[in-house]
Amino acid sequence: MDKYDSLVIGGGIAGIQASLDLAEQGYRVLLVEKQASIGGTMIQLSKVFPTLDCASCITTPKMSAVMSHPNIEVKTLAEVVQVRQIKDHFEVNLLQRPRYVNIDACTGCGDCEEACPVIIYDEGYNEGLGPKKAVGVPFATALPQKAVLDDDHCIFCGKCARACPTDAIDFSQREEKLSVKARSIIIATGFLQTPTIKEEYGGGKYKNVITGKQMDRILAPTSPFGGVFRPSDGKIPDSIAFVQCAGSRDASIGVPYCSAICCMYAIKQATLLSAAVPLADITIYYMDIRTFGKNHEEFYQQAKAMGVNFVKGKVAKITEKTNGNLVLRVETFGEFGQIEEFEHDLVVLSLGLVPNWNPKNAIDVDTDTNGFIKMIKPTTNPTLTSLPGVFVAGTAAGPKDIVESIVSGSAAAMKVSEWLQGNLKDAFFSKELPIKSIIKG
Amino acid sequence: MNTDKNQEKKDKAKIGVFVCHCGGNISDVVDVETVTNTISKDPRVGVAENFIFMCSDPGQQLISEKIKEMGLTHVIVAACSPKLHELTFRKVVAKSGLNPYLYEHVNIREQDSWVHSHEPEKATEKAIRLIEGAINRLTLQNPLSPSKKKTIQNGIVIGGGVSGLSAALDLAERGITVDLIEKSPFLGGRVVQLEKLYPNGEDAKTLVQSLIQRVLEHPLITVYLNSEVIASSGSKGSYEIRIKQTPRGVEDRVEGLEDAIQSCPVEVDNEFEYGLYKRRAIYKPYSDALPDLPAIDWKNCTKCGNCVRATNGKGINLDAEPSEITLYGGAIILATGFNPYLPETGEYGYGETPFVITLPQLIRVMEHIDPEDRGFIYNGKQIKSVAFIHCVGSRQIEGIHKPKNGKLNTYCSRICCSTGIYAATRLKERFPNLKIADLYRDIRTYGFYEDIYEVASRSNVIFFKFDDTEIPKVNIESSSGGLEITMKDELLRGRQVAIDADLVVLNVGMEPSNIKDLIKILSVPTGNGGFLQEVHPKLRPVESQMEGIFIAGTAQAPMNIQESILAATAAAAKAANILVNEEIELSPFVAKVDPLKCSGTGQCIKECEYNAITLINTDDGQQRAVIDPSLCSGCGACVPACPNRAIELQGYALEQIEAQIEGMIKGVPTQ
Repeated sequence: MDKYDSLVIGGGIAGIQASLDLAEQGYRVLLVEKQASIGGTMIQLSKVFPTLDCASCITTPKMSAVMSHPNIEVKTLAEVVQVRQIKDHFEVNLLQRPRYVNIDACTGCGDCEEACPVIIYDEGYNEGLGPKKAVGVPFATALPQKAVLDDDHCIFCGKCARACPTDAIDFSQREEKLSVKARSIIIATGFLQTPTIKEEYGGGKYKNVITGKQMDRILAPTSPFGGVFRPSDGKIPDSIAFVQCAGSRDASIGVPYCSAICCMYAIKQATLLSAAVPLADITIYYMDIRTFGKNHEEFYQQAKAMGVNFVKGKVAKITEKTNGNLVLRVETFGEFGQIEEFEHDLVVLSLGLVPNWNPKNAIDVDTDTNGFIKMIKPTTNPTLTSLPGVFVAGTAAGPKDIVESIVSGSAAAMKVSEWLQGNLKDAFFSKELPIKSIIKG
Repeated sequence: MNTDKNQEKKDKAKIGVFVCHCGGNISDVVDVETVTNTISKDPRVGVAENFIFMCSDPGQQLISEKIKEMGLTHVIVAACSPKLHELTFRKVVAKSGLNPYLYEHVNIREQDSWVHSHEPEKATEKAIRLIEGAINRLTLQNPLSPSKKKTIQNGIVIGGGVSGLSAALDLAERGITVDLIEKSPFLGGRVVQLEKLYPNGEDAKTLVQSLIQRVLEHPLITVYLNSEVIASSGSKGSYEIRIKQTPRGVEDRVEGLEDAIQSCPVEVDNEFEYGLYKRRAIYKPYSDALPDLPAIDWKNCTKCGNCVRATNGKGINLDAEPSEITLYGGAIILATGFNPYLPETGEYGYGETPFVITLPQLIRVMEHIDPEDRGFIYNGKQIKSVAFIHCVGSRQIEGIHKPKNGKLNTYCSRICCSTGIYAATRLKERFPNLKIADLYRDIRTYGFYEDIYEVASRSNVIFFKFDDTEIPKVNIESSSGGLEITMKDELLRGRQVAIDADLVVLNVGMEPSNIKDLIKILSVPTGNGGFLQEVHPKLRPVESQMEGIFIAGTAQAPMNIQESILAATAAAAKAANILVNEEIELSPFVAKVDPLKCSGTGQCIKECEYNAITLINTDDGQQRAVIDPSLCSGCGACVPACPNRAIELQGYALEQIEAQIEGMIKGVPTQ
């Protein structure tokens, strides 16, 4: 059985950073990613606040560094199914899902994709906005740069296999169970966007009501639309609305907490839209603008100065008109404040963050009331979980922006290195160290 | 170097030029096709390509393949700032079998597409000129190899608050020795001044004291209290830090120390209590302060000797002299913390009545409330109503807020909403009949802290929202001294309201500690608001521009305790990446002396800020300068100082810079 110093669960930006910092200190790391490529949510994004760097510029070099580091092994399409603690290490059962592509033979040339006759919505990388084939490299900067076959949609016509110059397509692959040993574990399983279940906002049925992540895909250099168009009819929108707290601060959908990033990502998207569709009016409907991070408030003030319209008011209801436009019912607070209705031709729901992974059956760590991995010492030791030797990084523990996720990835790596030195046990086991009697001077 | 050789180099050159679109960041302005087409006409260029993300794995592959396939002699990538990805591409070049220093990074984003977005044609021309300059320079470049030096495997942490304490413990638990430097005679920083902590109601002192105990008892940590950095030299892997330590005055835990404190005739404001209460000149800021030994406040001590007499002459030494100590470390972590914003006299009535206080002061007051008291008594007055005002000293807007010392704090201080509203709920818990008004611009109880806001709303804290541009006014009634706040409440559709309050609390923001001297000594840059600036918020979030110097906690930006500790631990990780290795690679871009030209004038030594140059006696009886590459920063100050032109900066030779300028002027190559 292969033995690693640390198992990192999740190949998003937090898991990537944690793996790199451990590997730099000479530890052997196994990085397990559920998807076919590492990169997590960040690789899907357009530009990132508040610097407006392209997300890829930050993510791809770190992804590349992980793939090529001699101390890091990466398993994609793999999931952790069971973790057992045995003395000083963990025995981990993994489920390796089939890629149906021989990963050593595949060169990522894309011939299979070209040959495949099946066209489906790309619900992953492109958030359902663009098409993809049933086989192919998941996206241009995916790592590993290897094709993957979607067995839910494949019609097994064999065209890809015949097109492949290296005979890499392998329909005989099956799920495999693997076991590894790890001396420590970092959970970096990230988040999902709040589902669009809110009936008042159309429950996900209105075509021109899109999610925050979809807007980021539209604005990305690798945009599935190749520009800013609304989904129903391809019209360039004249009037775009952002609905803040569409998936947070709302007990009715089970998300009572604030998701901490939606204000900034909406303002970022509004800023990018001002350049991409300069004639469009952009309105952000908000409860509170929460731009609290470094240089974030300045970013907000800049968007205001650029002409983005900020309206304080919670959107109560969205209705769809026959022409695809949307009517927003809002209680406004301005001088003429009252219940008002505003029409827009494209609406973005600034959805929040919910946990991506329920560890319940796999590993014996506690979750908090919202289902995130519970930090047992949120103030003094925020990477510690309820299971000694298991740490948490990034949004798996709750809402964080990219900077905070990266910082917590490094922090989790540091704590693992202390654990591997045989230290830190006290921190897990004792509530707080006892204070020695203080002698009065 | 003679011109024949240079010509030969030019003839042999087969340069690969790779132009990055940066996903539109560059290609939306610069016509990358024109750039590659034009550059490919230069006879020295073997191949010119452009790609959407050159830094991605496919982009790196492209470079690697071309190097091997075509036998490229040099590589240029025209992309973002070298701060981001110079290292990324050097590694690619090295992996492909080429000397990593035969690589040049051209910045056509920050220095081109971003600043010339309205003149795309000129931006395209500028990109070509920048690349042509780089080609000229690079063809004269010799392969370089970095030298190695031994790492001093010891960490230096500056600042003894929660961030510094955590970072020191993290390194020590990793098995690395640490020197912890703290300016004051006591550890614990700002957090010990708090009462209970959100969100779990933990006791702030208990939490910090357990951290301090562990630091004081850790065999790998040495603590230097009362100490300030006065000089620094060296570089990543081997810093030398000189500190000045002021004596504590109290040297031993002897009997009678409590009497000694009582006998002191001097009474001054206790900064621990934000001036609300007094202390003596021999003092502990609070009774449980750690280390558990009083200290002398030399600024205010009159050396009357009362304290010495109280302990029968034992344990206290009023004649001790400051000492200087040199510390050596391979990495430095700056955890210098913050100061609460101090309002100016008259700002919301502050300083004009004792009943306008800051939030940190309120927290001190809350800790001193006598449990026997029937109600909330402050300054002899029964307080029945409290009004909190948000964003004092934060989110300031030009024309609305008055600059303090010529500057506005435009940033949000992040923690004051949660801290202030939590304090309000704590007051409500203890005094349910207390009326509390909360005057805000936006409630920023982000993440799980939304809970605090929810609890406050449920416990009848009344919220009033004011507009960014119309801030509330605090009026002091001249006869009664009572306080009335007038404001336009947006929640009531902009109606003017008046709120009476017995006590007004200003939710003040954070400002960086006054570390001007330290910033200068360590040459670390600051950014918005004077906080320490990271290299890049996402790529290198806890690293300063000076290699081997890291940033932890509120020295970087406003943060709460959890965030400070995460940052501190991350900084420890980055420091550990250096400190666990016995050796460290040095940058080859250092100055070198040509011994045949040097006549030992010593002019260069005067210019060197890094003490990297010494004069040695050579066999021929002459004096000549030698440069220690481990100390040289490659700044180049010595180069023009030499009257004999005997010094050359490797990679930046004079002829290379001349050639680069020539290339930029000439621009588009003609065949």
